[in-house]
Amino acid sequence: MTANDQVPLPPSGARVTTTACDYCIVACGYKVFTWPVGTEGGGLASQNALGVDFPAPALSGRWISPSQHTVVRIGGQPHHAVIIADPDATVVNRGGNHSIRGGTLAQKCYREDGPTRDRLKTPLLRVGGKLTPVSWDTALGVMAGVSKHVLHEHGEMAWGMKTYSYQYFENTYAISKLAFESVKTPCYSEHDKPGPGNDTAGMDDAGLITFSASYEDYSLADVIYISGTDPWETKTVLFTEWMMKGGAKLIFAMPRRTTGVAWAERNGGLFLQVKPGTDTLLHLAMTRLILEQGWQDQEFIDRWVANTWEIDTGFGRGVRNTPWQWRTTWGRSGAVSFEDYKKWLLGYKYAELDRAAEISGVSAGAIRRAAELLSKPVSGKRPKASFCFEKGCYWSNNYLNTASLANLGLVCGAGNRPGQVVSRGGGHQRGWASNAAAYPITQSPEKLPGRRRKEIDLDRWVEAGQLRFAYVIGTTWAQAMAASQELAGTFRRLTRGNPHQIASADASAAVEALKRRVDSGGMAIVHQDIYLVDPIGSELADIVLPAAAWGEDDFTRANGERRMRLYSKFYDPPGAAKPDWWIIAQFARRMGFEGYDWEDSNDVFVEGARFSRGGMLNYHPLVAHAKQLGRRPHELLREMGTTGIQLPARLIKGELVGTKRLHDPSNEIGTPEGPTVHSQWLYAFNTHSGKALLHKTPWEIFADFYERITPKGDEVWVSNGRINEIWQSSFDDQRKPYLKRRFPDTFVEIHPQDAKARGIESGDVVEIWSDDVLVQTGGFVGMEGEDLLSFQQLEQKGHIRVGKGSCRAVAVVTDAVRPGGVFTNFLWPGSPVNSLVHRVPDPITSRYRFKLAKGRLRKVGESPYKRSFEAMTFAPRPVMPRAT
Amino acid sequence: MASETDTSAGGGEKPPTCLTRRDFLLSGSGAATTIMLASLPGFARAQEPLALRVAAYPRKRLGRISRLQLNQPVEFHYPYEHAHCRSFIVKLGVPAGAGVGPEQDVVAFNALCTHQGGLLSGMYLQEGAFRLAGPCPIHLSTFDLTRHGLIVAGHATQSLPQVLLETDGDAVYATGMMGLVYGFSSNLPRDWKEGG
Ligand code: SF4
Ligand code: FES
Repeated sequence: MTANDQVPLPPSGARVTTTACDYCIVACGYKVFTWPVGTEGGGLASQNALGVDFPAPALSGRWISPSQHTVVRIGGQPHHAVIIADPDATVVNRGGNHSIRGGTLAQKCYREDGPTRDRLKTPLLRVGGKLTPVSWDTALGVMAGVSKHVLHEHGEMAWGMKTYSYQYFENTYAISKLAFESVKTPCYSEHDKPGPGNDTAGMDDAGLITFSASYEDYSLADVIYISGTDPWETKTVLFTEWMMKGGAKLIFAMPRRTTGVAWAERNGGLFLQVKPGTDTLLHLAMTRLILEQGWQDQEFIDRWVANTWEIDTGFGRGVRNTPWQWRTTWGRSGAVSFEDYKKWLLGYKYAELDRAAEISGVSAGAIRRAAELLSKPVSGKRPKASFCFEKGCYWSNNYLNTASLANLGLVCGAGNRPGQVVSRGGGHQRGWASNAAAYPITQSPEKLPGRRRKEIDLDRWVEAGQLRFAYVIGTTWAQAMAASQELAGTFRRLTRGNPHQIASADASAAVEALKRRVDSGGMAIVHQDIYLVDPIGSELADIVLPAAAWGEDDFTRANGERRMRLYSKFYDPPGAAKPDWWIIAQFARRMGFEGYDWEDSNDVFVEGARFSRGGMLNYHPLVAHAKQLGRRPHELLREMGTTGIQLPARLIKGELVGTKRLHDPSNEIGTPEGPTVHSQWLYAFNTHSGKALLHKTPWEIFADFYERITPKGDEVWVSNGRINEIWQSSFDDQRKPYLKRRFPDTFVEIHPQDAKARGIESGDVVEIWSDDVLVQTGGFVGMEGEDLLSFQQLEQKGHIRVGKGSCRAVAVVTDAVRPGGVFTNFLWPGSPVNSLVHRVPDPITSRYRFKLAKGRLRKVGESPYKRSFEAMTFAPRPVMPRAT
Repeated sequence: MASETDTSAGGGEKPPTCLTRRDFLLSGSGAATTIMLASLPGFARAQEPLALRVAAYPRKRLGRISRLQLNQPVEFHYPYEHAHCRSFIVKLGVPAGAGVGPEQDVVAFNALCTHQGGLLSGMYLQEGAFRLAGPCPIHLSTFDLTRHGLIVAGHATQSLPQVLLETDGDAVYATGMMGLVYGFSSNLPRDWKEGG
């Protein structure tokens, strides 16, 4: 028992390691203090490693809360570990700011006498239905045996990978090498989508790289339009350290009122409580108002937006000369000059204010006010407008929302200047810098009409029974994907439902059983993770491999302003757990693939460097520079501590420098030195002409699907997202005592009107269910003109099946949500809201519309929290003191 | 009420009347949730026996319950006179975890935000049936005063430290703390000596 009213202080000799937070995109800098159990520092500055007299003053960043201490093993010996946001940080989380997620990192560490004791510690093989510990040799031998068979008998189209995209440069490079260079499979997809490709294609088409901004930009702006996210909740320090302190007026476009919104409203900002999926209409109406009033930044447009000549002669992404030809030749949304765009917009019925207001649910007055705040000159001075968007915007109406937001930003003069940027806020960190080889798109089974290739939709490929072997790393396939219960059902049928199961731990017998399985149309699954994940690991996988992660090896990664840091190893991984790059290398060697003899993660980092050239995360100059100095690149980066370097890295006069902002013409360019690459997007937009492109974004492209999925009768919109106190699937949070007290279960916010009509009160357990979940099937190859690009065509040609889904959550009755729409956590284990999400991806980009589910609600009982004072609270989140 | 406050900090006025309840609050039911299994060599930190720890807190008379006005927090310092020990006692009008008084609605908390020490003095909010402290003026964290100061939304990594109350008739006493006060490494004063 502990009173939780004291923490040990690190003694002055404690070891200090720098790292960054493992969670959200901001990647706050952290310091880890470790020292052997049995000693403690004292409360005088001279007696502790924090160099401060206790009690530590407010805002000093030098206080240690009980959640920031744990005990770990280092070299087998017990050590205290104190993990706090770096009080000396001068970038990102200046002075040691942090969120509750990062603030509890210590509780994430493996501790054999704590709630993290169930970390995976040894490889497991499912023998007779039971996961049984085996050696690395046996597990990898079985995996290689069945993989060789699948590749030989069924081809690389039957061997696939589903992995995270973000768990460090070293691991993702190893993934790309295995998938694209060695196996050469097109059957690959990342954790949050059905296949490779652009996430925010409308932005890409405009020439805007979506992590072009620097955090400083958000403190320089006069007004920030924030679409589909509240950074206070999910990119916390970006909000509390940069947006709040900068004093910009904030305009939020979201269906749900949050703390950031309440703060914005109190500080001269605005809340556009948009109906899910209708942002495009807001963007169109605001852009039109701006053009009608002549508030656009004409000087910027004249200089930076491509004209007809620049588009049509092939210097832009014109008809004849574009990697995204299939998008632009489609005709309806092709790039147009400013004059053409203006003409189209002023004559376009869905850009009319009243119509946009009616469909989006945002009042005409509020839309007008937003347009004004963004662009109307005040005493002859244009406001500096920035645009920050995230998944509510692009995981709902992917192409149209992003393309129309790009247009709005560009007419306001944003995109390439201090305080005037268009950028993603970001979700997880940027952990993929290098592809060892290109994605083999020519092998992809997906084709659009006119023989245009498209990346695979791996979920649909699984449903079609085409995948025989899946190597799943660090992701919750199936819950993370749309219509997840339907998908899980398919997995179950192809694995546990198959008569061929492993009956003995003997490696060759296991290989034989799995060979028979895959030859009979079934599937073998390997899942590699830090915990056993339900169902992909606990129920479906034949082999489970234990991974070592944050703090357990040296890794590198970048944040939302492209800042790369070394995430240092500071303690022993549990049991026989190994980093993903090591596991991949061991497997690849057993497959007979060459080039996998890395000794440590630094070796992988070095090998991957040259493949990062040309990308926004180009770190090759750092590696080259380290070599010149005779240093290990990881060590050089370690010295840069929590400051790190903003990528792309460059050499200027022999010095290694970072890049604050992309597309910025004031970036010092000059002659490229050594390995420095001067991509055009450093100082101009990412198009052939270097000028941004405007696209028409006709609502009709989306309208038929939107009409079909709009809730009817007693259905409600079911939107989902992240919340401050929960990270991803809560895999760590459910093992962090304090966070588990806040959220022992998932929640669903329901408007009082909807709750009352169904007899639901805060604290009740509610089932959210639907028997109208749309699932796209088959149709991999499009033949005719506009084949399968509209929902109606999909339906007419029999490619839509109707499935079911359900999840449950604890009700929080609040007017933070709109009537007719609820909000819940996006990825709670055992209660997948994605089961309600239609598995009909955006036809232009193959991205799911995760935020546009619908369902019905019914009370199923009372949670234990309804009448308890001990855990969970149903108090409203967005509260502000009443104006006095 | 402030005039009623007995400022003579220090225990021993009277033996604690309700050690069992404090015992429960300090240790159990999710209030302090460190999970300790069979201790592994070197792992479990030596803990003072709980009873000793509780008894170590001063017992301080705060005033009379009947003088508290609904939703009007009154400030005091506890466990001793230090800027970080700024605390408030309030009658919520709704029952609360560890609430005392006839309606079990009188609670007391430390007033420093457990994120980075923002001062929550005067940041008492009544929202329908909910009673909150916050939003913190620094980064907007809010705490639920009916649920032991649990974070509602925000960045603090532990609840707002709750001052444990006991009553003796109409008199109310502070008798202990649940949770570490911002800035401290231990709630109870420690005499740090150079070289010690
Ligand atoms: S804001 Fe993000 S990066 Fe910073 S501490 Fe929180 S979760 Fe970690
Ligand atoms: S100090 Fe209170 S929220 Fe940061």
